[in-house]
Amino acid sequence: MNTIDIKINERSLKVLPGITILQACRDNGIDILTMCHLKGLSDVGACRLCLVEIEGINKLLSACTTRVASNMVIRTDTEKIKRYQRITTELFFAERNHVCSVCVANGNCELQELGYKVGMDHIRYPFLFPECKVDTSHQYFVMDHNRCIMCTRCVRACSEVEGAFNWDVKNRGFQVRVISDFDTPWGESITCTSCGKCLQACPTGALWSKDVVQGQLEKHPEMITELVEKRKLLLT
Amino acid sequence: MNRQEFKDLVIAETEKTKNSTCKHKICICCGAGCISSGSEAVMKKLQEEIIERGLQSEVEIIPTGCMGPCNQGPLMKYLPENSIYQKVDCSNISQIVQSQVIEKKPIEHLLLFADSRERPFSNADEDPFFSKQLKIVLKNCGQLNPERIEDYLVHEGYRALDKALFEMSPEDVIAEIKQSRMRGRGGAGYPTGLKWETVYKYVNDQKYVICNGDEGDPGAFMDRSVLEGNPHRVLEGMAIGGYAVGASKGYAYIRGEYPLAIKRFEAAIKQAKKMGLLGPNILGSNFSFDVEVRIGAGAFVCGEETALIASIEGKRGTPRPRPPFPAESGLWGKPTLINNVETFAGIAPIINNGGEWYSEIGTPKSAGTKVFALAGKINYSGLIEVPMGTSLREIVFDIGGGIQGGGEFKAAQTGGPSGGCIPAEHLDVKMDYEALVNLGSIMGSGGLIVMDQSSDMVDVARFFMEFCMDESCGKCVPCRVGTKMMHDLLQKICDNNASRIDLERLEELAVYVKEASLCGLGGSAPNPLLSTLRHFRNEYETRIGKYEEKHIEVPQTSEV
Amino acid sequence: MNNELPATDPRVKLLAAKIKKENFKPDALIEILHSAQNSYGYLPMNVLAYIAKALHLPPSRIYSTVTFYHFFSLKSKGEHTCLVCTGTACYVKGAQAILNELEKKTGLKAGQVSADNKLGVQVARCIGACGLAPVVVLDDEVQAKVTTDEIINKIIDKIGTK
Repeated sequence: MNTIDIKINERSLKVLPGITILQACRDNGIDILTMCHLKGLSDVGACRLCLVEIEGINKLLSACTTRVASNMVIRTDTEKIKRYQRITTELFFAERNHVCSVCVANGNCELQELGYKVGMDHIRYPFLFPECKVDTSHQYFVMDHNRCIMCTRCVRACSEVEGAFNWDVKNRGFQVRVISDFDTPWGESITCTSCGKCLQACPTGALWSKDVVQGQLEKHPEMITELVEKRKLLLT
Repeated sequence: MNRQEFKDLVIAETEKTKNSTCKHKICICCGAGCISSGSEAVMKKLQEEIIERGLQSEVEIIPTGCMGPCNQGPLMKYLPENSIYQKVDCSNISQIVQSQVIEKKPIEHLLLFADSRERPFSNADEDPFFSKQLKIVLKNCGQLNPERIEDYLVHEGYRALDKALFEMSPEDVIAEIKQSRMRGRGGAGYPTGLKWETVYKYVNDQKYVICNGDEGDPGAFMDRSVLEGNPHRVLEGMAIGGYAVGASKGYAYIRGEYPLAIKRFEAAIKQAKKMGLLGPNILGSNFSFDVEVRIGAGAFVCGEETALIASIEGKRGTPRPRPPFPAESGLWGKPTLINNVETFAGIAPIINNGGEWYSEIGTPKSAGTKVFALAGKINYSGLIEVPMGTSLREIVFDIGGGIQGGGEFKAAQTGGPSGGCIPAEHLDVKMDYEALVNLGSIMGSGGLIVMDQSSDMVDVARFFMEFCMDESCGKCVPCRVGTKMMHDLLQKICDNNASRIDLERLEELAVYVKEASLCGLGGSAPNPLLSTLRHFRNEYETRIGKYEEKHIEVPQTSEV
Repeated sequence: MNNELPATDPRVKLLAAKIKKENFKPDALIEILHSAQNSYGYLPMNVLAYIAKALHLPPSRIYSTVTFYHFFSLKSKGEHTCLVCTGTACYVKGAQAILNELEKKTGLKAGQVSADNKLGVQVARCIGACGLAPVVVLDDEVQAKVTTDEIINKIIDKIGTK
């Protein structure tokens, strides 16, 4: 198969044309931080953690949405990128009410892990402490908006994989919230199939199942990826 | 209507105008500004007055689009003498008709006049407000009735479309636009010809043309005035664009806040369709083009092209990362040409007069003219058009008549929430894309707000940050959380409650949000802050000084 | 959602006609919402449910779109509306002071409607009448170069007392 030459962090690589920079990095063991990306779901470029520098382009571009091109020279590890990743992480924590010690996802949380990875020892920005609801109306599941980071992985899993379209986003700016149907309590949704895919897609403790207790939540986002892969069998 | 019929019609209409018995023409501004000031009542009263005096066969009354100095409205122009009367009231109609029409004497004290001028001008063209302008886009605004396609036809209307369709290939049209060196008037200044060529080169059975009329910058009303004052010019530009890139369908996305612009544009589409200037096989050629209006619903971010596309598709107006650019994958994934209202309005003159003619106007890097919306503490607020490279001083003092109430010029804000403030020491800057960027501002769509000493620049920065915070779509983290954080920090500074550390954090966040945001809204949201920091840092320092007087500094951190 | 729209209501007929005119296309959602809001004054839940069904769109998609755009309102805006423009030109000419005073005198914050539904106070981010700043829009009529007292008097003329 035809390959093209690119360079990532001074390493010369041969990659398939048409893949994203993120894919190229992951295929070659180059670590790249992401939060809104989940393999199998469409990419939205919203968390801005995967920003990379590309020679000849004066803007930072998100690796998940930018496709490789011949002779592209990419950097993922500059001081600026690391600094920005740290700020982004701090903003995630300051935006809602994240208290790891009482969270079901403690120890199994992608946001917590991100904090460790960027070396976040403290947060320099004031917490916004927004008033957030906890929706416990569903028979099996809970949606805790305090812990939501608006990655919209649940929204995409629900629409793209399950096809239920229970979730979407309301309002705009820092007042955005994930909603079910007409912002109705989840338990009263007429579209939710209770499949639980959103729980698996969620990177934090925002979506969890009522049968787990604090710190016991285990998530399997790769389940979504596998489902999408297996769906492809139908087309062959 | 085929080509020959079109030519005959234009000749017939021109003859009709020439042979008109009306020696006097009275134009009444019916732009949204003057209507708000009461121009419709004035027109009614004038019609009654003319009938009462039995002058119907001598005086023609023309409702027109914006004449320019909106704050002096309602405006009334008497032709051929070209005397403009300001703040016309129903009570002075009789007097004006008697004196101006019958006795041929202008009434000095009712003529257009700004406090800073020595005397009013009986021929408005001698007023620096008009004499310093060069009108290309606005040429027929304030001259013709925007609700009559016949008026436009007499003023060279659809001549450029006719020329493009029958005498030029799409490649010729693109070459002409490229030669004109015109740059997109939406704000970023991307070369128009290059954009057209890119869309042209993508092969697809369906392409689209979108006219961006979602003029969201507070303080800007150029697009509104063009759409209201000469909608056919925009339509003609879109049709030529469609022909050049190979699109058969166009959308005009117009702000919901502009009901009059929507009404006139929709009427224009209907008239053009009826005459065969829009629709299948235009003027008997092989080219078909249809235009539909989409009404915005109040979201600033929809001025961003990918957000605008999402909005036309009936969804939340959230931007998506580029590449791919709309030229490759736009509306419903098809190659799409998006240009601003003013850009499309400038196309017909280029086709009629040639790209070379246009390229000789303006500065080496920014060709042509630019429409500005003057507002704020200035004597004449309103709509102007000047060659690129005109100095800010000329715009504010010669054209705009100086600062209202005899105050002192402090700064001019350009580019709205994405732009910045230009201080007094740079009054001689030659306004073009590069010069403004060098000063930390941008050309933007053309809003120009003049501020005097009463404006507090830290509060101005807070004002714009509040705007961006409210208008952020909430998709990407830097813009969603960053604008909120910056706004809160600016509020803290305004309240004299911020320390030096807060200022440092603010500056760090500003650069981060600028570089890390997904779209242009976040990418430019810190501009007003950064430009006021650059030119008016002392105002920030003063407020921080006030805080430091009261407090011993303790670094503030929050634990996780 | 449980209270369906009465088919005899002329507003429902209007809405149905609009949806048909747009060929039941989901991408005409915003156009249809504009039309619904024009006839109802705002967007009641059962209207949204009706649109969802007619266009075969998920409720969440409709709700997310409605709440994204400032133009659309989920609650009544009041019989009379007083909209203060807070665009840059109006800001430079003191719109904030006008709004503050108006809020004090009416007892309503921007976005609120009086208890008797007679008056609603709103703000806009620029209505493009910058040459006439500061401007206030009273029931779709633009008031140029206003003062607070003028506006208060005009409001009193419209709604009677207070």
